[in-house]
Amino acid sequence: MAKAYKDLREFLKTLEEQGQLVRVTDEVMPEPDISAAGRAASRLPNGPAVLFEKIRGYKGSVVTNVHGSWQNHALMLGMPKDTPTKAQFEELDRRWDKFPVPPNVVSREEAPCKENTITENINLFDVLPLYRINEQDGGFFLSKASVVSGDPEFPDDFNKQNVGTYRIQVKDKDRVGIQALAMHDIAVQLEKAERKNERLPIAIALGNTPLVTFMASTPIGYSQNEYEFVGALQDGVPTDIVKADTAEHLFVPAGAEVVLEGYIIPRVRVVEGPFGEFPGSYSGARLQCEVQITRITHRTDPVFESLYLGMPWTEIDYLMALNTSVPLYKQIKESFPEVVAVNAMYSHGIGVIISTKCRYGGYAKGVAMRLLSTPHGMPYSKIVIIVDGFVDPFNLEQVMWALTTRVQPSKDVTLIENAAGMPLDPSSNPAGMTTKMIIDATTPVPPEPDPRTVELLKDPVGTQKYTTIIRGLQQAMDQK
Amino acid sequence: MKCPRCDSEKTRTMAKSPVGDVWEVFVCENCWYSWRSTETPVVLPKFKLTDELIANLGVIPPIPPLD
Repeated sequence: MAKAYKDLREFLKTLEEQGQLVRVTDEVMPEPDISAAGRAASRLPNGPAVLFEKIRGYKGSVVTNVHGSWQNHALMLGMPKDTPTKAQFEELDRRWDKFPVPPNVVSREEAPCKENTITENINLFDVLPLYRINEQDGGFFLSKASVVSGDPEFPDDFNKQNVGTYRIQVKDKDRVGIQALAMHDIAVQLEKAERKNERLPIAIALGNTPLVTFMASTPIGYSQNEYEFVGALQDGVPTDIVKADTAEHLFVPAGAEVVLEGYIIPRVRVVEGPFGEFPGSYSGARLQCEVQITRITHRTDPVFESLYLGMPWTEIDYLMALNTSVPLYKQIKESFPEVVAVNAMYSHGIGVIISTKCRYGGYAKGVAMRLLSTPHGMPYSKIVIIVDGFVDPFNLEQVMWALTTRVQPSKDVTLIENAAGMPLDPSSNPAGMTTKMIIDATTPVPPEPDPRTVELLKDPVGTQKYTTIIRGLQQAMDQK
Repeated sequence: MKCPRCDSEKTRTMAKSPVGDVWEVFVCENCWYSWRSTETPVVLPKFKLTDELIANLGVIPPIPPLD
């Protein structure tokens, strides 16, 4: 069974042991040091997490880039840090089928996140070393929170409890703004509360075990519980949760560093943003919801976990890479078992590459349309490339080969106009409306004509043997 | 003190540094822009706000009718 982490601290310890966490012990300024380090670390090929021990004017520490490399991603899964991306995809695919693994509910006394409680004179700055992430952001944001909320119509339905990542702007010492886009699960719950002019209780958990954060940003079904998926992705090891203090029906990760509890103020929208977003550009100011914080619980000496997001790739692109690819793969595969793999790593699935065997003519286009009718693919996916089953969609050289030699644009490129789009994609116009493009880069199969059938080149006999020989010779040279 | 984004005078101190007296964070109660005293905020023209612009900003998500 793979290694599972009880909390963020256990994971940071492993990262450090594996050379994937560095400490900055000198005092730094909140701006621009923390963001600059997040940017720099996520650009390195084996980028480590960066832990700042002293931030000027603050009590606590900050860690950034925890998920920000394939090495850290592999360690999150308890795999060797040099595990290739496709192998990590395949392992996630295997573990996905263990869902549901019910979480372990611990008592308040057993939950580290309840070590300290603040109910009066709430001041987020006392607990969190808040800082500006990008220069034109409208304030200080929480970029890596797992937000827990319930369905007001079915408060006791654990499956409808949502754990999601939403951007959060600090508006005051005890008040934050939250972005709940109409396509997101929390917006469904908020609408029900607002129709009755009721507060929507929420808990904002910061600094979680890495697969909680991973699942919070994974697009799964509305009635699928994220905690039950965390147990599955921990290869069957349940994750620990505990009841929130202010809402009987909400459960938070027991090992969280900090939990902010409160409620969304109903029927109120206040200026929020701009915020540097994952497509690599700022999303402008809008009128958005606000949360009144009424209680904070936290571990002693909490570590504030935050991520830098900017021009891709940054930490958020690693975080939202395979957790977007695997659920889309599962949903499409259910209808079309011929699908081999899905790479939805580009801007949270705005760009997707699918490899599939084609049973009959037009099959690739059908597979693309299935993607575009999944709950996530419908608003997000815009550029869809379908390649043959023998093409590795995670290998962009192979994908480019398919595009350059399989595609006849006059028949293989399809545009679907006036479709749903991702509002943060600046090419969508108006925001949220887009044109989809399907590129069929597969080899035609009957009844589609293939007038110029070709014989594909094969590796010469002995290639595998010589791969080993050459690698050995190279290693011998390195050792000299 | 004027807000660097909307020029409103409705600004105040939101928080002071928990350790030492090394910085303050200011907030504008008109447009809710916030900044630290150690920063030199330069808001790009495209992100400047006026009362008219604020009144016409998009609403996310839309407020539903009451049941």
